[in-house]
Amino acid sequence: MSRENNSAKQHSGDKDKTRRKFTVRMQKKLLVLFALFLLVFIGLGVRLFWIGREKGEQYSKQVLSQQRYDSITLPFRRGDILDCNGTSLAVSEKVYNLVIDANVMLDKEEYLEPTLAALGSCFPQLDMGTIRSYITEHPSSRYYVPLKKLTYMEISAFVAMQNDTAKDAEGNPGPGTYIKGVWFEEEYKRTYPNGSLASDVIGFTTSDGIGMYGLEEYYNDILDGTTGREYGYLNGDSTLERTTKPAVDGYTLVSTLDVNVQSIAERYLSEYNEEYTNNHTEGPGARNMAVILMEVNTGNVLAMASYPNFDLNSPYDLSAYYTEEEINTMKETDIDSYYEALNAIWRNFCISDTYEPGSTFKPFTVAMGLETGKLNSTDTFLCEGSLTVVEGQKPIRCHNRVGDGTVSLEKAVATSCNVALMRMAFRIGADIFAEYQRNFNFGLKTNVDLAGETRTAELVHNADSMGPTELATGSFGQGFNVTMIQMITGFCSLINGGYYYEPHLVKQICTTSGSVVENIEPRVLRQTISESTSDLIRQYCTATCDPDYPGATGKKARPAGYKIGGKTGTAETIPRGNGEYVVSFMGFAPADDPQIAIYVVLDRPNLQDQSTGTAQAAIIARNILTEVLPYEGIFMTEELSESERKELEEKKLEDTIRYAPSVSDGDAGGEPSQEDPAAGENAPWMSFQKDPATGYLIDPVTNELLDPETGYVVGNYDAIQ
Amino acid sequence: MPFQRSNDVARKKRRQGQSEYFFDYSLLFIVLFLLGFGLVMLYSTSSYEAAQKYGSSTYYLVKQLKSTILGLVGMMVIANIPYHFWEKFYGFGYLISVVLLALIIPFGHESGGAKRWFRIGGMSIQPSEIAKLCMILFLAVVICKMGKSIRTMKGFLALLALPLPIVIMVWRITSNLSSAIIIMGIAVLMVFVASPDYKKFILMGLAGVAGVALVVFIIVNVANSDTLNYRGGRILAWLDPEAYVSDKGYQTLQALYAIGSGGIWGKGLGQSMQKLGFIPEAQNDMIFSIICEELGLFGAVAIILMFVMLIWRLMVIANNAPDLFGALLVVGVMGHMAIQVILNIAVVTNTIPNTGISLPFISYGGTAVLFQLAEIGLVLNVAKRIQLKEV
Repeated sequence: MSRENNSAKQHSGDKDKTRRKFTVRMQKKLLVLFALFLLVFIGLGVRLFWIGREKGEQYSKQVLSQQRYDSITLPFRRGDILDCNGTSLAVSEKVYNLVIDANVMLDKEEYLEPTLAALGSCFPQLDMGTIRSYITEHPSSRYYVPLKKLTYMEISAFVAMQNDTAKDAEGNPGPGTYIKGVWFEEEYKRTYPNGSLASDVIGFTTSDGIGMYGLEEYYNDILDGTTGREYGYLNGDSTLERTTKPAVDGYTLVSTLDVNVQSIAERYLSEYNEEYTNNHTEGPGARNMAVILMEVNTGNVLAMASYPNFDLNSPYDLSAYYTEEEINTMKETDIDSYYEALNAIWRNFCISDTYEPGSTFKPFTVAMGLETGKLNSTDTFLCEGSLTVVEGQKPIRCHNRVGDGTVSLEKAVATSCNVALMRMAFRIGADIFAEYQRNFNFGLKTNVDLAGETRTAELVHNADSMGPTELATGSFGQGFNVTMIQMITGFCSLINGGYYYEPHLVKQICTTSGSVVENIEPRVLRQTISESTSDLIRQYCTATCDPDYPGATGKKARPAGYKIGGKTGTAETIPRGNGEYVVSFMGFAPADDPQIAIYVVLDRPNLQDQSTGTAQAAIIARNILTEVLPYEGIFMTEELSESERKELEEKKLEDTIRYAPSVSDGDAGGEPSQEDPAAGENAPWMSFQKDPATGYLIDPVTNELLDPETGYVVGNYDAIQ
Repeated sequence: MPFQRSNDVARKKRRQGQSEYFFDYSLLFIVLFLLGFGLVMLYSTSSYEAAQKYGSSTYYLVKQLKSTILGLVGMMVIANIPYHFWEKFYGFGYLISVVLLALIIPFGHESGGAKRWFRIGGMSIQPSEIAKLCMILFLAVVICKMGKSIRTMKGFLALLALPLPIVIMVWRITSNLSSAIIIMGIAVLMVFVASPDYKKFILMGLAGVAGVALVVFIIVNVANSDTLNYRGGRILAWLDPEAYVSDKGYQTLQALYAIGSGGIWGKGLGQSMQKLGFIPEAQNDMIFSIICEELGLFGAVAIILMFVMLIWRLMVIANNAPDLFGALLVVGVMGHMAIQVILNIAVVTNTIPNTGISLPFISYGGTAVLFQLAEIGLVLNVAKRIQLKEV
């Protein structure tokens, strides 16, 4: 605009009211106003200064204290337990807890209804009325867990809906846009895919993840990982930092158990149980029954089954053994009896219960005598049906009341002659007897890697407390207590050449990704007896199960197609004469090259005459071996009879004798007597010392190396050295 | 005075035959500085909440930046329109304000429990912001038209009665007491400057103070707080924020924590802890508390000084305005800025009860920044018209 225009307007403006000047008076008032504003600003500045000086420290603390340092625990995953083939015995699954954050849900009006509708449709088990009333009553609640331990399958529909926030073709936002205030907290839940299988061995976990019984308890520290944490802290500059320390998962256990062997064993136990439940008296087929299968040359436990068992997924469920009424009465009137009942089903009979072993101990007594030279394989003993141990007391009787006559060592074991064994024990003496009992680990723990192994130190006599009666009864396994695991582990050392392996159930510890942390190798604790004694014991035990041996007690245990060794046991319980027995069968297969040992115990079988239960134990062992031996790839050695062939066909098992060429070669080349220890004595070279370097035998006269199978000379011992 | 000097320069230029062109760069610089600083603080304050709520830390920044650019364009346009052009629209502006406020009832968009906005094509517009500008224009014209009758009691009362319909509408319809107070405040200040009298205003001030004291006294003595309405509760929370920490006093107390923990030099830009969810929507009315926390007393005083300079600049422009109308426009804008800054800082420091008032140029709010820049545009045009006294 030009100057002329401006001045023209200025002049005309004087007349116009709106063109009036902003007077000096007004200017002054404006200045006053400005001064007022300035004063107010100064006041506010002072106020700021005052807040900082008076409250600064308090407010600074307040700011720090309301920061969220709270840490979130990140759960670790407890390690799995696998069987020797990698089948899962115990696994930890990720589960989800449904968490409702009412504060967020009520943040906007449009969230509440869609969110509740989605919850209702995805979780039909939710009572929406309760949820709704909780949210309205606790609008500021941030953590409300109406559902716990949901699987991923259960929550996936909801999560999909929650994540569906994409706009559709018409531009409407997806349903997930309005689903707010619901999240899932991760947790792990222990599950046992096989239910009650090997329940006493595996053990279970409490709801807070602590192992109870069995492997779960024994290896609790290894299965446990370290919980992670997400937490906040103030760094040097007083700024909040949040850090995540991830959880470390627990290690996985690879067990020596084989699910197939275990289930075969459990199947025959439960078959027996079903057959004899309420047989003589009301109740189960036996008060306790148990089976252990062990690898003779490693101490690996292949199967360990006991009854009563329980479902690992619901360990507190007693309904299989008691009616609901009974359980309620126990809970209400006598809580102790309730826990006793639970303990009874949880405890592992194989390691926690002791009993008198009975005649299955006889091979141990014979082995002691042979090993110490007190007995000779050619010795014979006279049995007249009973033996007076202490003058004036009742004589101790044999099974065979009329007497077995003159018996060899082999016959004493095979026919289970008590008198012959007592005579042997007197020759051995209390000192050696007690010492060798300890050598075989009786009275000591086997240190099997399971929680709850019983201490038996007070249950076995030592040399001082062992009088003639204790010695006499001890020779046939009465008068002292053992556990099953002690018996079978000791028995393995009797037949494998004297090597006492520590029994164990875990062979490997590895990380979740599968890398090996530790291999648990078979561990020889000691040599209990020599090879030659072991050979003799194997021979005697094989005779016990030889169907052709007159009077042998273990004939019924022989499975179709295999030659096995074993020993039966019928132990009277205390008080004597009450007609209650613990009956058992302990055996190994194949007889010539023992691979697998089996021990079946029936504690007070439900029979009119409990002592006849011994045959039942042998039959259970036979049934188990019939299936387990082919499964383990052990070929048959014996020709099958017609009935045996039928039995195998029924069980869909194959006749595997033709796959065993080495045995038939041996038959052709070797001496027949060697294959049948019951028929003759050992070949002379068999007792020769073994060369540890080559495995051949050394002829002590010529120093030549002999093939242990054939006895042929291989080379000069010195020359090799 | 600097203006004298610049006028000398202008005169020299005119004598040399160059066209006269005065532009108040000082004011422009102050405004631009406040806008720039505001955007930085807005980003610092809102990024956490924006990332949490919208997944993008720049959500609020981008929206505010758009409004700011639009506002700056608008400001430059208005700065080049002679301010007398608006004179004839004063009645129309008043009417528009009334109509828009009335339209809130059927068409208003509700957010955060209050119905204050229109949504037009993705943008929300707040009619009370429009009303403020319209009120400045309306009163400037009316005071000019009244002339000397402003000295009479009748004229004085008429001037104070005229804004009341708008004030009441803003208060009742949009339930926005703070905007109503601001509009009334603008009116009172304009009348104060235009009227030669002091006595009436001192009396008015005293009456106001007494009235407020009486209300506070009554509220404090009402034992049953259930019968108190929303604002009564706010007054109690103002007197003792610690007692209402989980409720009405929460925001105020958190703001005080922020101010108190800042110290002299602050925690450093971006280092506020209170913005991490403790002060809800800190980028709106409570942004000054975050400035205190991050930049300390130093930063806060610096910002206050910037506002003081802005108001001083406005005063200088008003005093040198070519005519009464222009001067009153500038006084209105000055009153608006001053009241809003003072009330905002007073709320944040709990000097007065909590009521939602944003900090000009700095707080988040699209309509507010648009109209504040429009006001500045108007002032820049008045400044452009400043005449030399000796012509």
